[in-house]
Amino acid sequence: MNTNLLIWIILAPLLGAILNGAFYFYSIKKKKISDLTFSLIGTISPFIAFVVTLSLFLRMNDEGIIFKQNLFTWLHIDKLDIDMALLGDNLSIFMAMFVTFVGWMIHIYAVGYMKGDKGFGKFFAYFNLFLASMLILVLADNPIILFIGWEGVGVCSYLLIKFYYGKKENVIAANKAFIVNRVGDFGFLLGVVTLFFAMGEVNLSFASIEANLGNASPELLTLAGFLLFVGAMGKSAQIPLYVWLPDAMAGPTPISALIHAATMVTAGVYMVARFHFLYIDLANVGLFIAYIGAFSAMLAAFIATRQNDIKKILAYSTMSQLGYMFIAVGLGFYSTGLFHVFTHAFFKAMLFMGAGGVIMALHHQQDIFKIAQHRASLPIIGFTFLIGVIAISGIPPFSGFFSKDAILAAAFQEGEYLIWAMAMFTAFLTAFYMFRLYFIVFVAPSPIQKKYVYTPMTVTIPLLILSIGAFGAGFLNFPAIFGGEHFVDHWLIQLDSKTIHLSHTTEYILMIVSVAVAASGIFVAYKKYANFDVMKPEEEVGLIGNKFYVDEIYDVVFVKSLKKLSTFVDKVLDEKIIDGFIMNSANGFINIGKKVAMLQNANVRFYAAFMLVGMMCVFVYIYITLGL
Amino acid sequence: MISVTSLAFVSMILFSIGAIGVISRRNIFVIYMSLEMMLNGVNLFLVTFARYHFNMDPQIITIMVIAIAAAEAAIFLSVIILLFRSKKSLDTDIFNTLTQGEKS
Amino acid sequence: MVDLLFIGLALLSIGGAVAMIAYSNPMYSALGVLISMLSVAGIFALLNATFLFMVQIIVYAGAIMTLILFILMFLNIKEEDLPKEPNKFKFIALGAAIMIPLNVLVIKAVSKLPSKDLLLTETTFGDIGPVGMQLYNNWLVAFELISILLLVALIGAVVLAKKRTKRVKPVGEAS
Repeated sequence: MNTNLLIWIILAPLLGAILNGAFYFYSIKKKKISDLTFSLIGTISPFIAFVVTLSLFLRMNDEGIIFKQNLFTWLHIDKLDIDMALLGDNLSIFMAMFVTFVGWMIHIYAVGYMKGDKGFGKFFAYFNLFLASMLILVLADNPIILFIGWEGVGVCSYLLIKFYYGKKENVIAANKAFIVNRVGDFGFLLGVVTLFFAMGEVNLSFASIEANLGNASPELLTLAGFLLFVGAMGKSAQIPLYVWLPDAMAGPTPISALIHAATMVTAGVYMVARFHFLYIDLANVGLFIAYIGAFSAMLAAFIATRQNDIKKILAYSTMSQLGYMFIAVGLGFYSTGLFHVFTHAFFKAMLFMGAGGVIMALHHQQDIFKIAQHRASLPIIGFTFLIGVIAISGIPPFSGFFSKDAILAAAFQEGEYLIWAMAMFTAFLTAFYMFRLYFIVFVAPSPIQKKYVYTPMTVTIPLLILSIGAFGAGFLNFPAIFGGEHFVDHWLIQLDSKTIHLSHTTEYILMIVSVAVAASGIFVAYKKYANFDVMKPEEEVGLIGNKFYVDEIYDVVFVKSLKKLSTFVDKVLDEKIIDGFIMNSANGFINIGKKVAMLQNANVRFYAAFMLVGMMCVFVYIYITLGL
Repeated sequence: MISVTSLAFVSMILFSIGAIGVISRRNIFVIYMSLEMMLNGVNLFLVTFARYHFNMDPQIITIMVIAIAAAEAAIFLSVIILLFRSKKSLDTDIFNTLTQGEKS
Repeated sequence: MVDLLFIGLALLSIGGAVAMIAYSNPMYSALGVLISMLSVAGIFALLNATFLFMVQIIVYAGAIMTLILFILMFLNIKEEDLPKEPNKFKFIALGAAIMIPLNVLVIKAVSKLPSKDLLLTETTFGDIGPVGMQLYNNWLVAFELISILLLVALIGAVVLAKKRTKRVKPVGEAS
């Protein structure tokens, strides 16, 4: 049903961004505005968005309706009809719920984290803008509006990664993120265009695409599905477009928490779920997606075992968990994948915030061994961090267990044993490296006395709230074998996802196996790192330590060859051939003119000779016409 | 052996040599003499046809041509003297003030 | 025998002409022209143009060529005054190539005429009497004009040869 409330979910953070931006300009040009104003505007706008979303959610839960809002017609060209319309169905509101809630929490956290920073107002302007773009993405009614949000989050990600633009590496990392994302965006746009032409150029909203899918030939649909997934590869950091995510950790920790853990990177999963009607029939593309997810998960887990930067470990773990989500949506288990998105948002955001707290307490030190060497006593952060690490390792009854186990069961049920095995091994590695991180930062004995560092309440309270979510979110989709309600699965029934139908014994066995694998990972990490001598840190060496040299390979294959091609086009094609052609034509005219001008050289004999030649032409003509 | 063709041949050769001399030699005297040679060739041609048709008119024309050549000789040679006095050279290629030359 | 005479005279005239354009020294060229004039006068005589034969020798060879030789020696030309003509023979060849069409045209046209024997005849065709009659009866105006032309040439030669007392004003000066 039509409502006017949907737009406020987006407008609240958007207006917050505009206000913050205006005030920031004012503060740097004229009079300084206190940080309190910025933080108030910056935190109230996501709260408003959350409240509106919550009210819509409650109404939807009671009445079983969906919300639409058509703002205006954007484009109407021949057969292309794009309306600026918002769609608040179950999937959108589900995503919007946790995006606004986790976003609100992180905004509060950022008030404490960014305290004293010169660009405080600018930060909150960008942050609100990001939230607005993400909500546009989630609430879009057609792929074009989704793409507006898609690009918007990319831009805000760029703006926020290079927030500390004084250091050149940060700007380079932001460029890398934006450019790699662009490659994905190109694929996405091509996919939308293919879809448009494949369906015979009908109205492009999701509902009409779903209705008209029969018009298109299967090959074109496969192509469209693949191209759309290329966009997801870029945005959600899967192989091969993942190289931007570790470098994106150059930005401040709040944005790593929000953008690169909970929201932007899940946009790819959301997009695949949104196009479920397309992917359901494309089993091949789905299998491809699942395999990419599995490989990305495993690769990221491998690399994370040897990283020394706390945020990079968490970045690779994000990529790994995204791989899990893609395994699920690739195999057709859309609601399972989205459930993992939901739980992952909580514990990953919390892990990042905890890491941020540690970094902040130790004055922006990010190497885990150096953190360990100068350990401070951070009880609340340590406690919430432990909860997050246990959740991500998949130990019951924490939330990560339910969602991860559902994905593993899905892979097993579909008969994709290779994917199941890779996912299991990745679970082992996940437990291993996460507990390595925890043990080194919080547990391993350090020669220095632990001193207590005060962390502000704006940091600790969101951590505690999110830890409740990390612990309890799993109960929202409690599996039936334990007598649960499968609330999320029922809520997302529109997606026609496959559900788990294994026999109870198989499910129990699978659960026990996954718990055992996780526990063994924890055990190995405990053996190795609980009493680690932090004075002798591990180096990032070897194949794994150097991230399998993927960045270097990309540099040689893509960057250098493109640079050579550009230089070639510039120096040879442009300067020598095209410019040369034009300049030579112009010079040719001048030279011809000079040569012709030599005819008039005031040499009378020369003129007489030419007269003679002219006369001879006449005589030749007479000779021919006389027919002699 | 004296046929019209051979006489015409001789006169055309004289004319051609005169024309060639006008355009290919730089010495002003040679140019003038080539000019006279051309007139000579034309005279021969005229006289041939006077004899061929037994008509007196071409011979009268020839007399006129010779008279004009004499007048021309007077003027021409005065001019040669003037030019030699001012330029001290017999080259005809040095008179090129009618053009500005190559100024790019 | 007349044929032989004709051939000899023709060759002489052509040879004199060639000598004219081949030599760099103008003296030699002038002598070549002289020989050519005299040979052409001889051919005139063979063609029944006896008056013209006289006129040719007296005016052309006697007056014009003498004048040229006189001026040549008057100007006291030294070796360095002569222009250097490095590509003389190339240009001569080029000129020969240019002149071919006219020759071909004329000779082809003339060869189409019915052939007649052009031997010397015993008529009074080219004698001075009939020439005078033609000149004063039919060509009177031309005759008078020619005399005026010669007068003009005479005056012109005198004017040109006069020594200038003052310099010619260059263009642009106030008069």
